Amino acid sequence: MEETRIGVYICNCGTNIAKVVDCEAVAEAMGKLPQVTVARVYKYMCSNPGQDMICQDIREHGLNRVVVAACSPRMHERTFRAAVQSAGLNPYLLEMANIREHCSWVHEEQDAATAKAMALTRSAVLRVAKHEPLEKMSADMCPFTLVIGGGIAGLTAALELADAGHGVYLVEKAGQLGGTLARDDLTAPYLDSARDLMTERLTRVGQNEKIQVFLGAEVKKLSGFIGNFNATIRTAAGNGTGEERSVDVGSVIVCTGYQEFDASRITHYGYGKLPNVITSFEFERMLRAGRIQTHEGRIPQYVAIVHCVGSRNREFHGYCSRVCCMTALKYAHEIKSAIPGVYVSDLYIDMHAFGKGHEDFYRHSSEVKTLFLMYGKNAHPVIRKAGRGDDGERLLEVNEQLSGEVIEIPADLVILMVGMEARQDAGEVARLVNISQDKDGWFIESHPKLDPVATTTEGIFIAGTCAAPKDIPDSVAQARAAAARILGKIAKEKIEIDAVFAEVNEDLCSGCRVCNELCPYSAIDFDPVRRRSHINSALCKACGACGAACPSGAIKARHFTDQQIFAQIEGVLS
Amino acid sequence: MAIRVNPKLIEEIEKYGAEDVTKCYHCGNCSAVCPHSREPFVFPRKSMRNLQMGLEDKLKGSLEPWLCYYCGQCSEQCPRDAEPGETMMSLRRWLTSVYDFTGISQTFYRSWKAELFTILVVTVLTGIGFFLYGFSRGDIRTYGGPTAFLPSSTIHVFDWIMGGVLAALLAINAGRMWWFMVGRQKGLRIPFFAYLRKAYLLPLHFFTQKRYAMCERKGPWLVHLALMLSYFAMLVLIMFFLHEMQAGPRIDWRFHAVGYVASLGLIGATLYALHGRWRKRQTQYRHSHESDWIFLVLLLAVAVTGVLQHVFHRAGWDVAANVTYVVHLMGVVPMLVLEVPFSKWAHMVYRPLAMYFADLLVLARADKQNDASAELARKAGVA
Repeated sequence: MEETRIGVYICNCGTNIAKVVDCEAVAEAMGKLPQVTVARVYKYMCSNPGQDMICQDIREHGLNRVVVAACSPRMHERTFRAAVQSAGLNPYLLEMANIREHCSWVHEEQDAATAKAMALTRSAVLRVAKHEPLEKMSADMCPFTLVIGGGIAGLTAALELADAGHGVYLVEKAGQLGGTLARDDLTAPYLDSARDLMTERLTRVGQNEKIQVFLGAEVKKLSGFIGNFNATIRTAAGNGTGEERSVDVGSVIVCTGYQEFDASRITHYGYGKLPNVITSFEFERMLRAGRIQTHEGRIPQYVAIVHCVGSRNREFHGYCSRVCCMTALKYAHEIKSAIPGVYVSDLYIDMHAFGKGHEDFYRHSSEVKTLFLMYGKNAHPVIRKAGRGDDGERLLEVNEQLSGEVIEIPADLVILMVGMEARQDAGEVARLVNISQDKDGWFIESHPKLDPVATTTEGIFIAGTCAAPKDIPDSVAQARAAAARILGKIAKEKIEIDAVFAEVNEDLCSGCRVCNELCPYSAIDFDPVRRRSHINSALCKACGACGAACPSGAIKARHFTDQQIFAQIEGVLS
Repeated sequence: MAIRVNPKLIEEIEKYGAEDVTKCYHCGNCSAVCPHSREPFVFPRKSMRNLQMGLEDKLKGSLEPWLCYYCGQCSEQCPRDAEPGETMMSLRRWLTSVYDFTGISQTFYRSWKAELFTILVVTVLTGIGFFLYGFSRGDIRTYGGPTAFLPSSTIHVFDWIMGGVLAALLAINAGRMWWFMVGRQKGLRIPFFAYLRKAYLLPLHFFTQKRYAMCERKGPWLVHLALMLSYFAMLVLIMFFLHEMQAGPRIDWRFHAVGYVASLGLIGATLYALHGRWRKRQTQYRHSHESDWIFLVLLLAVAVTGVLQHVFHRAGWDVAANVTYVVHLMGVVPMLVLEVPFSKWAHMVYRPLAMYFADLLVLARADKQNDASAELARKAGVA
């Protein structure tokens, strides 16, 4: 066996590390360890000269292991792995010691910090000696994509992929495509027709041969991993029997949308009991029919619009539904245009006019004399029957925050701006595609800012309102982003699978299935015939849960072997 | 108890000049920038809000509009161009019509045609009346003496009768103003002595307009003060020294010097305002209600004809002087009979009154608070 020759590189990180840790002392101590060939200090190890220094040492001193004591591996492990690889070393023969976040940034006393930096680096040195070269694996990338949900996000994602020449299976639960947007009349703030937006999408989807649409269909089962999923789509046939079809896809985009908040849950608005207290969706239907009228068929002279029904409320949903403010302004505009002299009051908590053109639209609404009334979060308007001789059929009592007065306003028609909520079946979908939901039921993205359409399961993407309330532009942008992510993978043709994953030694496995339930990524299958568990390396994220739990010691996590962990502990303690 | 809104109020007050009230989204910049706005009278935002919501009753009793001098800073700061300054101005017009029990003010403000027509009718009637009177007893070729066309003794009596009627009208409206602002408020006690103790505020505000001086820009205050003092000086000269003013053709400098200065003040200030409203460069002059134009033009006409008849008289052109004098009266009478009680002029009474009431209200509220704390202290046994 080849002699182990380790190079240790201590980074000053400018003064980030050096001002607390005596880096020279660390290098000196490391240099005395057995198997350490060189130990050096440099100002910025991640810089090009820093990396060159490591590469040169690998070549000159014949190093076969490298330790970089610097920042968190989350920051620069990729950098240094690439560097050692360029010098001909297997990238997994590198180990990083985090002496910045874990040491210099959190300690002040120099001697103690230096001692800790030495312990951390020593631990990395002992660990790296036990490293084995690992090779990344690859799998084929199936160029087909499964899109679940045929609303604006699903249609857009499907078109984006199909336009690039790739096949799409578009599965829609309802009997027709369009989702909730198909129920809208005009869209805020530019007042273009939702029908126009939808018709354009639907025509293009209909004409595109690459898109196969399943209506009244559901995905029953999804198995496999990125690049190699298999989905079972069940179509409800006319006679109720239904038909199942199995398709192979490389990626999945979940665009299942939202459902409207049930206004009858807020009892004090009397929705469902009082006539002429309607939801925004019911009003949208009136607008599409082209006639705004009361239950009795009269033209309303006083219309009240109540915001935040079910949203921004601790009892129901704490979040903002984002689209209702602009939709309410759109209603105000449409009512004002349709009924001359109508009195429109808009009862809000805060006006969220955050998007492009929204503030102008808000301004326009006040110019056309919409009466904006601010009610308190904990003082909801009260709807009462008006007396004889009062204007309007009902009276809304509002504790108006901008004036501090309790007032009564007339209303013939009350529109409740119901918020968005996660669909009732979101949990089923989450389990089906193996993604997580947050406390409100929305699907969780891989990173809320930097990776908003990917999920923790590779190959599964989310777009539109299934991830959180959002408006049309944001849903479309997400759909296109998800499609772009998939196109990138299709273009590469192969899926690279990280070399770090867990393996089951089938000779040791007793088939107890403890690991099966523990795996948070559903990466472990059980073979009932051979009574052995098997880990799908493409799905495994190397969290180590299975390895720690295995009573037979049959699971080995590559790059996190027992010897490596013990060496690491020894290094810290010695 | 919830306040019932009047949904039509905003439309109503639009007729008085307010245009952009609904644009306001209550950032409060206007109240922050206004040098007059301070507890407990914070405006213009609050007034804008009450107007937007249609709290008619509250607005009827509000004195904030009278505390505003329309320097225009609020409108300049407004991010929504909601014109808070113009709204306060419109509220003053509206309040004038609210105080006026005859309803004439309301008719005038809501229809400039009605106002102009009434003025023309009164003008014509005045002209006919004075010409008939003059020809019936005097000679149009004589200005003074026993055969004078319009002897000062007659005009003097006429002035005092007219003044009496005006004072009565204004007093009734001022009484209504007191009722809306102070009288009808339940639980508010203002001791009679306080009314006397604070009475000095009325002449103080009337003659100095010191609150106007609190505005950052002092120019408008000076012009307004000049106009007001000129007007007042002229009023005193006419009401008490008409005989001396009309005597001539010798110039009696004791009285005429004052008259000249006052005329100069009136004409200068009126021209300044007319020019400002025409050019629309200054914020407070950007929006002009028809009543503003009628008022200024009438005032200018009265001032100029007054000067002309004086000049003609001194020049010995008695016919011209007499004719011009009648024309002068044709302006004076509608101005005093219509503008003073029912339109813009009425603010010379309402403004000082509002400031007087403001002090009384603050006093009364402080008393009430003291009473409440004394009561608390008594209950707690620490008194």
